[in-house]
Amino acid sequence: MGMLFSRLFSSLFGDREARILVLGLDNAGKTTILYRLQVGEVVSTIPTIGFNVETVQYNNIKFQVWDLGGQTSIRPYWRCYFPNTQAVIYVVDSADKERIGTAKEEFHAILEEEELKDAVVLIYANKQDLPDALDDAAVTEALNLHKIKSRQWAIFKTSAIKGEGLFEGLDWLSDTLKSRGR
Amino acid sequence: MFSLLYGLWKYLFSKAEFHVLILGIDKAGKTTLLEKLKTLYSDFEGLPPDRIVPTVGLNIGRIEAYKSKLIFWDLGGQLGLRTIWEKYFEEAHAVLYVIDAANQARFEDAKSALEKVLRHEELKGAPILIFANKQDVEDASSAEEISRYLDLKELNEQLSMVQGVSAHDGTGIKEGIMWLVDAMKTSKRTELLRQRVDAVVR
Repeated sequence: MGMLFSRLFSSLFGDREARILVLGLDNAGKTTILYRLQVGEVVSTIPTIGFNVETVQYNNIKFQVWDLGGQTSIRPYWRCYFPNTQAVIYVVDSADKERIGTAKEEFHAILEEEELKDAVVLIYANKQDLPDALDDAAVTEALNLHKIKSRQWAIFKTSAIKGEGLFEGLDWLSDTLKSRGR
Repeated sequence: MFSLLYGLWKYLFSKAEFHVLILGIDKAGKTTLLEKLKTLYSDFEGLPPDRIVPTVGLNIGRIEAYKSKLIFWDLGGQLGLRTIWEKYFEEAHAVLYVIDAANQARFEDAKSALEKVLRHEELKGAPILIFANKQDVEDASSAEEISRYLDLKELNEQLSMVQGVSAHDGTGIKEGIMWLVDAMKTSKRTELLRQRVDAVVR
């Protein structure tokens, strides 16, 4: 279990604490993806402030997942989870055309966070198994990905349910983090 | 007063910063080139070619060369992804166009994609460096042959150069980059982009 994962990410960060955020609107498929990757046991925490963060610890890498959108009152608490973040995995429901505009706004808002300015971004255009899902080029357009000019990004078509595309994306992520240099 | 002097000092001694857009159709070798640039111009070892997967997004390389800071944007070359290229034109100082010189079957595609780029208003006056890549492959066409094939009359108004390179072993890359930095330093487009930035700052 998690063999491929360990091959990709062991020794990547040395002994440093690292964090990878898995974000997106509710129902985008984030938790399913984490289960699919078999990184480890997903632990759900519902703190008193009322925002639900799922955490998977893999060696020194913490994967943390929460839903974007919704109440603005809890947003300041998101910042607790920003330090040492190496990468953001943004998950989009490619078949939810009604909310893709919201997905775009939330995406660009989170990338403006000062503490996330060095993080690389991996986008999963998820739910490709659904018949009317937008493809990678269409999601690129809908999310205005070209606005990102100072950090590396890549988009992958995925189906969390079928387990497709997820590891290709992680491959890219681990290579990118390795080759980033300065 | 200090900030004034500091500003002047920074103005005089800071290195010029240039954005170079790496374009070309899929499998031309753009990302392999980018990684080679990192290896050639920084202490940092780029990814080996066998670890490189097709780009569906943006790769970035920052290097310092010939007293300038160069920021390379490497965009995916697959047909569906080419629409995104033009979103980066406005801020690019120059274009580095990569062609697989060993794949004749795709010359036509490479040529028409390049023509589209050159015709674009947003790129006016940008120097174009064309890398006839994969010179390490036995039957690769030479820079002269590629140049003749492309027959780019539009390039009369744009500074251009065709250079034979191998992103694999590094042959020819430095000659090309040296030319490109010189071309950017003196191009009207660089002046134009600087004025645009100044206008925003004020």
